[in-house]
Amino acid sequence: MTGVPAEPRPSETPERASTTVHRIARSPLGRLAPLVIGLFVLGVLSCFLGDVAIPARVVLGTLLEHAFGAIVPISPCAGTTLSSTECYVYQTIVWTNYVPEVLLGVLVGAALGVSGAALQGTFRNPLADPFLLGLSSGAAFGASLIFVFHLGIQDAQWTLPLFAFAGAMLSGGVVLLAARSPRSSVTTLLLTGVAMSSFFSALLILTLLYNPNGNLQVSFWLLGGLEGATWNQVAIVFSGVLVAGSILALYGRALNLLQLGSDVAQSLGVDARQTRIRVMLLASFVTAVAVAFAGVIGFVGLIAPHVVRRVAGYDYRIVLTGAAVVGAIFVVGSRDLALLFFPGIEVPVGVPMAFVGALFFLYLLYRRPGPAGEGSGW
Amino acid sequence: MVNGPAALLSVDRVSVGYTDRLAVRSVSLDVRPGEFVALTGPNGAGKTTLLRAILGLLPIREGEVRVLGTRLADLDIRQRAQRMAWLPQEEHPQDNVRLLDYVLFGRYAHVPPFYSENTDDYARARDALRAVGLWDRRASGIWEVSGGERQRVLLARALAQDAPILLLDEPTAHLDIASQLELIGRLVRLCRESSRCVIAALHDLNLAARFSDRIVVLSRGRLAQDGPPEDVLSTGLLREVWDVDAELRRDPRSGLPYLIPVLPREVVRTTPAERRLGPVHVVGGGGAASDTLRTLAGHGYRLTAGVLPLFDTDSETAAELGIPAALEVPFAPLGLEARAENRRLLEGARAIVVAPFAIGPSNLANLEDLRAFVATRPSFLLRTASLSERDFTEGRAGAIVRELLSGGAIALEEPAQLEARLREALTKSVPDPA
Repeated sequence: MTGVPAEPRPSETPERASTTVHRIARSPLGRLAPLVIGLFVLGVLSCFLGDVAIPARVVLGTLLEHAFGAIVPISPCAGTTLSSTECYVYQTIVWTNYVPEVLLGVLVGAALGVSGAALQGTFRNPLADPFLLGLSSGAAFGASLIFVFHLGIQDAQWTLPLFAFAGAMLSGGVVLLAARSPRSSVTTLLLTGVAMSSFFSALLILTLLYNPNGNLQVSFWLLGGLEGATWNQVAIVFSGVLVAGSILALYGRALNLLQLGSDVAQSLGVDARQTRIRVMLLASFVTAVAVAFAGVIGFVGLIAPHVVRRVAGYDYRIVLTGAAVVGAIFVVGSRDLALLFFPGIEVPVGVPMAFVGALFFLYLLYRRPGPAGEGSGW
Repeated sequence: MVNGPAALLSVDRVSVGYTDRLAVRSVSLDVRPGEFVALTGPNGAGKTTLLRAILGLLPIREGEVRVLGTRLADLDIRQRAQRMAWLPQEEHPQDNVRLLDYVLFGRYAHVPPFYSENTDDYARARDALRAVGLWDRRASGIWEVSGGERQRVLLARALAQDAPILLLDEPTAHLDIASQLELIGRLVRLCRESSRCVIAALHDLNLAARFSDRIVVLSRGRLAQDGPPEDVLSTGLLREVWDVDAELRRDPRSGLPYLIPVLPREVVRTTPAERRLGPVHVVGGGGAASDTLRTLAGHGYRLTAGVLPLFDTDSETAAELGIPAALEVPFAPLGLEARAENRRLLEGARAIVVAPFAIGPSNLANLEDLRAFVATRPSFLLRTASLSERDFTEGRAGAIVRELLSGGAIALEEPAQLEARLREALTKSVPDPA
């Protein structure tokens, strides 16, 4: 899939492109279609995996019952030797644990993917990512404050994302300021982000250790986790990601122009400064919503946009949407890998992602620079 | 220039930079529809700064820029982009964007926020790409085209932007000579055919003189000159602003001025043979010496000439080739000053060539003055036209010619022989320093 040329070559004029089906399949949106189908299949299959082994028949039955139960009567446990209590417990686990977990994974992955794509676009830098720029750690720190200081604990599900957003903006604000300095370069910008990331991780650990209840898992916040996801959380993350992610996706055209440099973009009608601040705010928000319920999962936002660009080309209108799909695949896939390879141990979802992500990060660092030469920061 | 259509762009006493270090100081400038203005000046004179300030990319410290009558400050970024298009010196696209998409970027300011380009936008992008002759390459990536083609793509994008004002920053800086001429030619045609105006920062003064309606010279952030090329270009300006000595010449075909910098003798590239050959003094007038001057100059001889009538073909040729010559007002007897200058040049010459020029009473002195020199220097009389046909002195010229021939001068019927004979004479008579 990676070797596919981004666009038809000049020799293949559109008039001669074989069939309509072919054309659609080769169009950027057409290339995203397999990814969307892949995500759907992966999502359904992931519901069969979990801490407790549940007969596949029961899982399938439960899913079908919830999907089509209103039209066709379906009894998930018919034809099995399970008692009605067991059946009920299994169904409950699937519907209230596994399905929300997978859906939360999809949403968190989409959030991190779109956020990474938007950040790479605004910073004109293939290494930008909510995790590396410190947004995720900032968000996690902000969210953790709620538990430690018992702030708005009654309504934690709603206040969590807001505190996380505030934390992300603390970190993001510093990076934005660093980026505005005339001496900023790709390196200083990324290193500022790395510094912020470490700083807020340290603060996060401090607050978690200080927490008198001791009911917060350090590993959940530092490496992410989907276990314990509820439908309520899914609804909150869904609304946040849908709204902010959709607005972000509308910045595709502006991001395309920003790739030419801020001055050129501005001469073509893009308010570079305003776009940057808004995209940074939206990316921070989307990241914060994800981190508030799933902790810090690194590298999703870094890798997803690269995969989409390989598959569907450079147009940010496609890349933003595509990165959400690929990000979702990554997080759900990461959850499945953790469950498949480390059964019985609760391996945080961020661990398999970090294994893959760290290697990919090295590849990005050491690959040959493109014909455009070194990126010049903003 | 003062009256006429309203200015598209009006720069009024604009200063840019920091108070203690202004990059542009109180520059005023009006540009009207159809005008091609070359903005020039030494490095650091403030050309780019001024362009960027006009575009709104740099804050203006004092003064005011008006675009189509509206203050720049009252226009938002989209409105500015609808009125002004910019061609930067170079661009570093991050992705291998298809040329058609790259040109489509120019439509951004015309598409409402969060909408996509419609068929009209595509049509304009197509037209623009056709106008720069790159339609066949529309599906190529921007990384795959040459430097000249890339500048054409940028021009197409600016055309698609459909702005009446086009600002260019050294658009030809990285181009070879053919691409330079091609790009500038397109810009000039664009100006002539539409009511747009072009302001281009250009380093190359001769390119600027050749193509622009007006040259604006900036020097240390100030406006030093503003006017048509024939008024602006002068050796004094070059010395004052660029600190370069130059000769001002006129292109014999277009009559436009151009400048040739005078280089210190030690940096001018010469071969040992060229240094040995010359100076050769050529006597002529009325166009009889032009071919000889060109041929010998082409062979690398150092030349002098005299006495030539001002404004005639020979003196123009000498001027064009940079040959020092003694000159006299046409149709007047050779004056004492001109003859003295001619003798001085003869004195310095190591060989003499007499072109078959028409001899009348007014220029007979040209022959008379040779008598003192033919014996001591190899001298060649070109006799391609018979003397009787060009002697308007009732035989007096003939007598002097016979005197010269007996004094050592050599008559040559064939001008093709001249160079070989000269080389032979000069290399033999002068001991080789090696």
